[in-house]
Amino acid sequence: MGMPSPGRRLLVTSVLLIAAALTTQFALGRKKDKLPGTASTPMDEHKRAVHALNRLTFGPRPGEVDRVTRMGVDKWIELQLHPDKIDNSALDARLAPFRTLRMGTKEIVENFPNDQVIKQIADGKASLPRDPTRRAVYEAQLQRYEDKQERKKEEEKDEAVKSTTQSSAAASDVPAEPGQSTDPDQIRRREERRLANLKTQELLDLPPDERMKEILRLSPEEQKSLAATTRGARADALLEGMNPKQKETVMSLNNPEQVVVNELTQAKLLRAIDSERQLDEVMTDFWFNHFNVFINKGADRYLLTSYERDAIRPHVLGKFEDLLVATAKSPAMLFYLDNWLSVGPDSEIALGIPPHGRYGPGPYGRPPRLRTKGKQASGLNENYGRELMELHTLSVNGGYSQKDVTEVAKVFTGWTLQQPRKGGDFHFEPRMHEPGDKMVMGHRIKQSGEREGLEVLHLLAHNPKTAHFISQKLAMRFVSDDPPPALVDRMTQTFLKKDGDIREVLRTLFKSPEFWSPSAYRAKVKTPLEFVVSAVRASGAEVDDTRALAVTLNNMGMILYGMQPPTGYSMKAETWVNSSALLGRMNFALGLAAGKVKGVKVDPASLANGPAVTRSDAAGSNAAGSEKESSADPQQALATLENSLLSGDISKQTHDTISKQLEDPKISQRKLDDPKRPPNLAAITGLILGSPEFQRR
Amino acid sequence: MSITRRIFLRNGALAVVGTTALPGFLTRAALGAADPGARSKRLVVIFQRGAADGLNIVVPHAEPSYYAMRPTINIPRKSVLDLDGFFGLHPAMASFEPLWKQKHLAIVHAAGSPDPTRSHFDAQDFMESGTPGVKVTDDGWLNRALRELPGSSAGASAKDKSAFRAIALGPSLPRILSGKEPAVAVNNLNDFSVGGKNPNAAANANTFEAMYDHSVDTVLHGTGQETFDAVKSLKAADPAHYTPAANAHYPKGRFGDSLKQLAQLIKANLGVQVAFADIGGWDHHVNEGSTQGQIANVLGDFSQSISAFWTDLGDLGEDTVVVTMSEFGRTARENGNRGTDHGHANVMFVLGGPVKGGKVYGRWPGLDQSHLYEGRDLAVTTDFRLVLSEVVERYLGNKDLKTVFPGFENQPGQFLKLLA
Repeated sequence: MGMPSPGRRLLVTSVLLIAAALTTQFALGRKKDKLPGTASTPMDEHKRAVHALNRLTFGPRPGEVDRVTRMGVDKWIELQLHPDKIDNSALDARLAPFRTLRMGTKEIVENFPNDQVIKQIADGKASLPRDPTRRAVYEAQLQRYEDKQERKKEEEKDEAVKSTTQSSAAASDVPAEPGQSTDPDQIRRREERRLANLKTQELLDLPPDERMKEILRLSPEEQKSLAATTRGARADALLEGMNPKQKETVMSLNNPEQVVVNELTQAKLLRAIDSERQLDEVMTDFWFNHFNVFINKGADRYLLTSYERDAIRPHVLGKFEDLLVATAKSPAMLFYLDNWLSVGPDSEIALGIPPHGRYGPGPYGRPPRLRTKGKQASGLNENYGRELMELHTLSVNGGYSQKDVTEVAKVFTGWTLQQPRKGGDFHFEPRMHEPGDKMVMGHRIKQSGEREGLEVLHLLAHNPKTAHFISQKLAMRFVSDDPPPALVDRMTQTFLKKDGDIREVLRTLFKSPEFWSPSAYRAKVKTPLEFVVSAVRASGAEVDDTRALAVTLNNMGMILYGMQPPTGYSMKAETWVNSSALLGRMNFALGLAAGKVKGVKVDPASLANGPAVTRSDAAGSNAAGSEKESSADPQQALATLENSLLSGDISKQTHDTISKQLEDPKISQRKLDDPKRPPNLAAITGLILGSPEFQRR
Repeated sequence: MSITRRIFLRNGALAVVGTTALPGFLTRAALGAADPGARSKRLVVIFQRGAADGLNIVVPHAEPSYYAMRPTINIPRKSVLDLDGFFGLHPAMASFEPLWKQKHLAIVHAAGSPDPTRSHFDAQDFMESGTPGVKVTDDGWLNRALRELPGSSAGASAKDKSAFRAIALGPSLPRILSGKEPAVAVNNLNDFSVGGKNPNAAANANTFEAMYDHSVDTVLHGTGQETFDAVKSLKAADPAHYTPAANAHYPKGRFGDSLKQLAQLIKANLGVQVAFADIGGWDHHVNEGSTQGQIANVLGDFSQSISAFWTDLGDLGEDTVVVTMSEFGRTARENGNRGTDHGHANVMFVLGGPVKGGKVYGRWPGLDQSHLYEGRDLAVTTDFRLVLSEVVERYLGNKDLKTVFPGFENQPGQFLKLLA
């Protein structure tokens, strides 16, 4: 049997003559291609478009398969390999309100002060900013800091009386709530909340600019309680009509760091959902995960914005060595894997040799503070050296020894940061650097300060083990969990021949018969991120706010920027297929389609209207008349939704199951005496998005 | 296992979905373990991910070299909670002291994997697969340990087993529990259903169940089946009734939540035989701290969660064994940043009714330079598999250790005899 040609399919669905019985056969026929073992027919252009979209993007949007088919799949892939040629202005406009995305780290820290900055002010080592808006943010934080100090003191007193409860620092630094309602603290807090609520109501009645002025006029204490008590709908109302800067300021009153993290994660999801440069986003996600940094390790909370933008993004399709060097020098990585603190055992600092004139104030100013609670740090830290070889380049069986780890750690001594908590940048500090030559995997690295590290990075970037490891990982992302070794070998050869050019390695992959093998078609189980984003894209949803999506990902175990160990997230099926995850996916699918995911609007009716709605030539007149017709018959609606959400790649079993369910009056929303009532399109959409078929790409 | 009970269980559970609930006593009788023997025994494995610093957890306070090698992060003798004159607990673990004194808590020091890797990823993988050095093992030892037990697919009818026989607390199923025996991951008991409070929940749940049940996608089909079985049993047992015992104070956080939910499942009599939970945050390369600081915080969370779990279980603790492990220990010496780097041997805790506690098991290799592994780490004198083998064979009653730990020359005569 043959795959219906895209043109014919389009015609069939938009002309809307197809009968329910026919549809079932259609689904039946499609199924055969999907059965493992029988999948031997080469893909036609339509199927190639589905496959390419499934692999190079976060999933096809309505009508996109047809667009790519029309353009020609190969041409579209080549375009995706050159993202700069793709207009992305709509996304850029969407990201414009997130000001931190364009700020340098120093600017972020100044505008969204962290505890360190606030502590300095509290200790009288720095002064408050003069700008009234910024000052309000600082004062609210100062208030919060002082309250916290006071609580700490009280707790210590309590501790002295009964040495017990140690609050766990695992999740947050919020102290455990005392359980008793007679607690004077709690009574005070309740009173504060009551007053703040009164104030909030007054504020809400003001126009945005007036409201902002009033907020800035509040005392720091009042600002703090306002921020702490204004959540959910009230918070939205408070921010209503304000400009981005005003919004950020109000949110900063409660937690400035959270504003930075929120903008970063919002942007990540918006880009995945809306970017036209999809391969660029997929690769940014891939490389970030490869060079994983955990957002909740201290300074990394505000270092990741620059890390992703300046170290990862410019190189995702460039030379591997450039990417490697950019990550090695990035404050985020230096902080995350502790290299900024690593000191050569025989370095000047370790030996206590006082700085001589030429290292005085100098071009870099003071050398970094290496004191860790009073005493000077004075030794090697192997953390980065090990992960550099195990996870970033050679892989765990890459032929290095513990001795190599130690030597590489020595090479990178002096690669440090000046005051990372204030947004300080990479700095090579010769006084921390271990003197002498080093031996790394049989290579003598001559003593040459900062250049030693670059030499080691060059060696590692061009090692065949690295070429193989990276090729293997890319093939796992784009082909299958267990990619064909012959393909990985050819990619490795390209990597080595083309100086680690990632675009060239991908081109080898996208042109390979293995990539286009029918056995690779929908062979990859989606990760939670891929699932959530692909569902949003497939449903053609309008996304105003991605926070609810981020929470969904947290519950599915794939917290954005939240992987603590340096290994990054797995992209294998076995990690993500389990009871908890499956339930999470089914519930998300139902919720999304029913419009219950906050900030995400889905219109199943427009989807049920079929691909016609997204065709440029079908705008306007078609909507009203055909929509009713297409949605009226549940079986017809199901067939159309199967096409628009899954390109018709649905098994007979799944199709029959949903089809049978449509007879259930609850789903069909139809009473016996009321045959005209339209079927519950949201339920059908949810069931398709939660089906086994939609879990694969 | 009688066929009548099985049918009752399946049909009973099915009947509960979307309709009226059965009376609690009835469902408990249906779902509960009928066998008084092996069935009620359960093993809880806890993994400290990130390489916990065993030397600062169970401190060899009588070793002068310990203090010499750790000038700034040692636990001073006066702060250590002495156990036997040589070892002592970190002071943040005060809640373990009563368990030790009641002889429910045993310690195995200098335990670990014989594999020399210092990669977190590989070492965790080896400890979970139970085959150090062998990467091709595709299942986990805790899953294999279930194979010969009553209620397993080999030991009884495949359908005659509780959906919660093997569970992992968390959003994903870990390596240790992957394999042929069905196992479920539970992140949050309150969300463990399809459709929530939606009026169409039952219809949607049934449709999804049929879809996954009929799916030819082997990966998703199997998991789907386990999932829906578990959802039904859970709904029938309604573990929300089982709130923590009054004196069980779980710390806030993911680990405490995991153990609290595990206790609920156990108390709801859902037939839990093996369970797994993990706790991260042990990789202290910088500013590890001593009696206060990073390690103290995470140890507080760790020990208070476990002792709350123990308290919460009450009498059910008699039929429970808890084993803790971590991929490797940390360097005997502190590093240049008042932290420790990746090392070798570590400490394991074994807690439970049948445990002969109040004793530190295993041979102590010492911390003299000549005794250190590769001149830097505590040497392994007890293979972690020896501890686990004893629990699996003596306690769970699975005699087929060759399958559970292939390649491990297990001599039951070598067991530490930490179980009564």
